[in-house]
This record gives sequence, structure tokens and C-alpha cells, in this order.
Amino acid sequence: MSIIELNDLCKTYKVYQKKEGLRQSVAGLFRREYRDVNAVRGVNLKVEEGEFVAFLGPNGAGKTTTLKLLSGVINPTSGEAKVMGFVPWKRDNDYRRQFALVMGQKNQLWWDLPAQESFRLHQHIYQIPANQFQKTQDELTELLDVKRLLNQPVRELSLGERMKMELIAALLHSPRVLFLDEPTIGLDVVAQHNIQQFLKYYQQERKITILLTSHYMQDIEALCERVVIIAAGTIQYDGSLRGILNRFSNVKRVTFQLAEGQSFEALDRFAPIEELQEPKVQFRVPRSDVPKLLSGMLDAKRVVDVTVEDPPLEEIIAELFTQAAKNQKDSSPEWLGGN
Amino acid sequence: MKTYIQVFLTFARNSLVRDLSFRTNFLLQCVTSISWAIMNWAFFKIIFAQGKNIAIGKGTGWTENEFFIFLGTVWIINAIVQTFFMPNAQEFSELIRTGNLDFALLKPIDTQFLVSFPRLNWASLANFFLGIVVVVFYANALMHDAVNPLSLSVFQVLSYIVFIGAGVVIMYSVMISLAATSVWLGRNQNLYMIWFYLTNFYRYPMEIYQRGVIGWGLWGFFSFVVPVLVVANVPARTLAQPLRESGGNRWENWLILLLFTMALVSLWVSRRVFRWALSSYRSASS
Repeated sequence: MSIIELNDLCKTYKVYQKKEGLRQSVAGLFRREYRDVNAVRGVNLKVEEGEFVAFLGPNGAGKTTTLKLLSGVINPTSGEAKVMGFVPWKRDNDYRRQFALVMGQKNQLWWDLPAQESFRLHQHIYQIPANQFQKTQDELTELLDVKRLLNQPVRELSLGERMKMELIAALLHSPRVLFLDEPTIGLDVVAQHNIQQFLKYYQQERKITILLTSHYMQDIEALCERVVIIAAGTIQYDGSLRGILNRFSNVKRVTFQLAEGQSFEALDRFAPIEELQEPKVQFRVPRSDVPKLLSGMLDAKRVVDVTVEDPPLEEIIAELFTQAAKNQKDSSPEWLGGN
Repeated sequence: MKTYIQVFLTFARNSLVRDLSFRTNFLLQCVTSISWAIMNWAFFKIIFAQGKNIAIGKGTGWTENEFFIFLGTVWIINAIVQTFFMPNAQEFSELIRTGNLDFALLKPIDTQFLVSFPRLNWASLANFFLGIVVVVFYANALMHDAVNPLSLSVFQVLSYIVFIGAGVVIMYSVMISLAATSVWLGRNQNLYMIWFYLTNFYRYPMEIYQRGVIGWGLWGFFSFVVPVLVVANVPARTLAQPLRESGGNRWENWLILLLFTMALVSLWVSRRVFRWALSSYRSASS
């Protein structure tokens, strides 16, 4: 049995449509217009124990809503979900003892107190035995290198340090399933890297199941084998990161470095040029045209070096998102008038 | 149960650590609430000094000393409410608006408990002690009254404490229910105002309402619908026994029954309202 299972999960929010201007605002006191926002529409997903899965999608795609549904924070409009055999929104204590949610944009630690105090509160809430608590806390603070900051008020910590503390707070009770919602948002490269390293190590060590959402491709490349692309509330792709390239990209970038004295004129007879910076020239061609381009160039020019690459992942994903947004606009939800 | 006690004690401890780290603020708060109490006391002292004609006690059976026991009781209850519930009810509204209630919902512990107690405003406890001083002082004065001395048994003092407990339960239930409405209202900055208007009615002996259509209407509403009227009335009259001269009031025992019934009913209602609110909770943007 899969540890996480979602069947046709849907969440629709009713949003008050505020109109511009004072007159409309006053009118809004008496008669309000609502719009249905389909944050999640019919998501089906299965995750096996020990997987590290990334949720990728543009803002408003439904990633966070899905994580909130799985955490039992909100109720779905329709559909089913089971995590470790529990229905999340029933908020069974046995379920809540076994998972954690970390949100990069929100903090749950007591702002004016040292993180240590919040950790102790978690110890009591989760009923963690004292020796186990101490051991886990020591281990986590050591791994994340924040031991010396335990007694400093949270408000005086840097964003990166605070995020580390948030992670520790979430992991003190050794959850089997971890939901991470943009855990590296706003962090500098070093802090990002630290957190990635930590997550990677911790996941491999403990074999826990992690669902991660992030906008940073590096996070995903470093951590996840499996990527689920979600846009407009539905799953657009589910597979390996590399698989995205095979499925959505039909083009290659071919770069030649020419020997000295070679002419760079009229090179575009071989293929459309993407970039020309002597002594290098880069073409963008359909995959099937690569052999033809190679033989043509090698015959005509003295070539020092050749590279054939996939276009950057960001580019493909950005295209995918744009496409999904377009599709969503075409099937835009109907307006609901009045109360 | 052990978990709940431990968590509560941790909340109490963390709040104290936090309050003490803002030392001046803490002291100022103590001074403010004590000054308010003293002004409150002085106000009624002046009223009673005007002569019995305009006194609160006129026709209600409450004399000056008895009334000050009532006042002290109100302070004690107010202080408990402001120490334990007020900051949390306000915070609860805020948690709903900002979406930070998410974190409370994740924890393997009763959510209503978790949002009801995280912040204790220790500085408000100053009035609790002041209230005790006032109650003890005036009870002592009544016991040494030349004309009609009051006699108090240990049982009555214990009852007084238990009744205050039941009253506090009612206040808590009304407050948490009000705060839970933030789920539907989105923003509920009126909370404090509504609370203030409602509790204004519980600060006086119920006898002052028992006349005229409006008076009885208010009495009925605040006894049975939003039952704040029994909160201070029942414990205070147990101790001060304002009607002891005329052989007591025949509905005294009914009032005690009403207090306990209302405490249970309002607690039950508050849990229903709370759960209902949670099911409508929609969190906020990440």
C-alpha cells in the first residue's frame, strides 16, 4: 500500500470579488459577488514510503493547498486522501504524531523566546521521552550547526538560522512523513545549500517520505528523483526530472568552437543560430536534425570542440507553466453573482 | 491529562519568561491595571458617600460593604479572564486571519486547548490579588458589623471559590465563541468592544435590573442567553449575603443551579462553535 494516496482530490474556494472604487465598495456591503477558485481540481497521486517527491508549479498552482489538505489543515471540496492509512482532515492524534509540515513563509516558533523553549513545548505536546528528546535535539542542532543559537531569541536569528530551527521543531518527534512548503524561500545560496544537504542526509538516513514544494530548481535537482508538476490545479507531469526533458523538449543546443581563421559568415545555412560569440557558435535544432548539423559543420569547418546539450530545465518548465496557464484561461470558471 | 498539564505549565512558564524580558512594559501594565482598580473603587466610594438615595444599593438590598465584596469579586474574575483568556482570544482571531492556525491544527492535542492558553498575561494578575485584598477587607468589616454581623463558614468560603471557577468557565466560553466568529468575519477587531459591552452588565448586582420591562428583559437575556449575570452574582452573594437580614432570597439556590447549568451549557456550546468554526477554516495564502 502506498503511504500517500490521493484520489480525485478537489478544493474550491469561494472568493469575494472586490470591485474598484468607493461606490462599488459600498455596494459590496449589500450585494457581494463571489468567484469560485478551483485551487486543486482532481489530483490523483500515489507516493511510496521513503520517496522524496517534489511538487513543482507556478504560484497559485495548488501546491500549497494540496499540502494543506494532506496535513488536515483544511477540508477538501470532494475526493479522497489517505496518508499512512489516515484521512488527514479527520485530524486523528495518531496521525498528527507521525507527520510534520514546515512552511517557509510562516513560523511557528515563539518569536520573543529562544528556540529551545519552543522545542520543549513540542516535547510535551508530542509526549517525547526526555532522553529521546535530548538525543534528537542534539543530533539535529549538530547537523544544522545551530547549537550555539539555541538560547538566542528567535527574533534575533537570521532567516536561514530561523528556518533551520523551524526544521528542527518539525523533526523533533521523528515524523514518518514530512511536508515541506518552500523551505528555502528567501535564503541565500549558502543557506539554501546547507538545508538541501541536511534534507538529503536526513531523508537517506531515516528513510522518511518527503513531499517538497519549491521554486528553486536547484533544490529539486539536488534532492528529488521524482517530480510532480502541478499547474492550474491538476497534475501535468509525474516522473523523473530528466524525463521532463524527454517528454517536453524536442530540441538540443549544439555548440561548436571553431579553429582560428575560420569564417563565421553564413553559418545560418546549417541551422538557426541561437548565439554567436567568436570563436563559438550555438545552434538550436530539433533532436532529429542533430546528426545532419554535425556532419554538415564538420565537413565545412575546422572544429576544435563540440557540445550537444539539452536546453536548461528552467526554460522547459517555464514553457510548460505558460502553456498550463493558457489552458486554464480558456476554461476559466464561471462567475457567480450575489450571495 | 498529564500532557495537558505539562503543556499548560510550559505555556505559563514561557509567557512569564517573555513578559519579564520586557521588564518596563510588564511593570507599566501592573501599574495601569492597579490604578484602574483603585479609580474604580474610588468611584463607588464617592457614589456611596453621596448618601443612600442614589446609591447602587438603594432598593436592591446591597449595602456599601456588601457591594465592595461584589466589586472585589468582579476584579478577581476580570483578572483571571484578562490573564488567561483575553490575550489568547485576541491571538486566536489573529491566527485565523493570518493562517497561522495551521500550526495549531497540526499538533496531536486538542486544538481548542492549544489556542486557549498559549499566552498568559501575567501582569493582569495584579488585580487578582487586589481583588482578594478588597474581598477579605470588606468581609472582615461585615463580620464586625455592630448591627447585623456576618457569619462565614469554611464551607461558604470554599463555595465562593468553586462558584468563581464556574463563573470563569462561562466567561471563557463566551469569549472563545466570540473569537471563533473570526473564521466567518475574516477580521474581528470588534472582539474587545463586544466583550466590553457584554461584560459591562455583569459588573453589578442583578437586583438593579429587576424592575421595568427593559430591566427584566436585560436580566433575562444576560441570565439565560449570554449568562454573564450569574458569573459574579452567585459567588459574591454567597460571601456577602446581602439579604441575610430579611431571611435571604428564596431563589438563592436556584441561582447556584443556574450558574452550574450555564457553565456546562456554555462550555458545551463553545466547543460546538469552535468545531464548527474549524470546519469552515480556510487557512490563508502561503
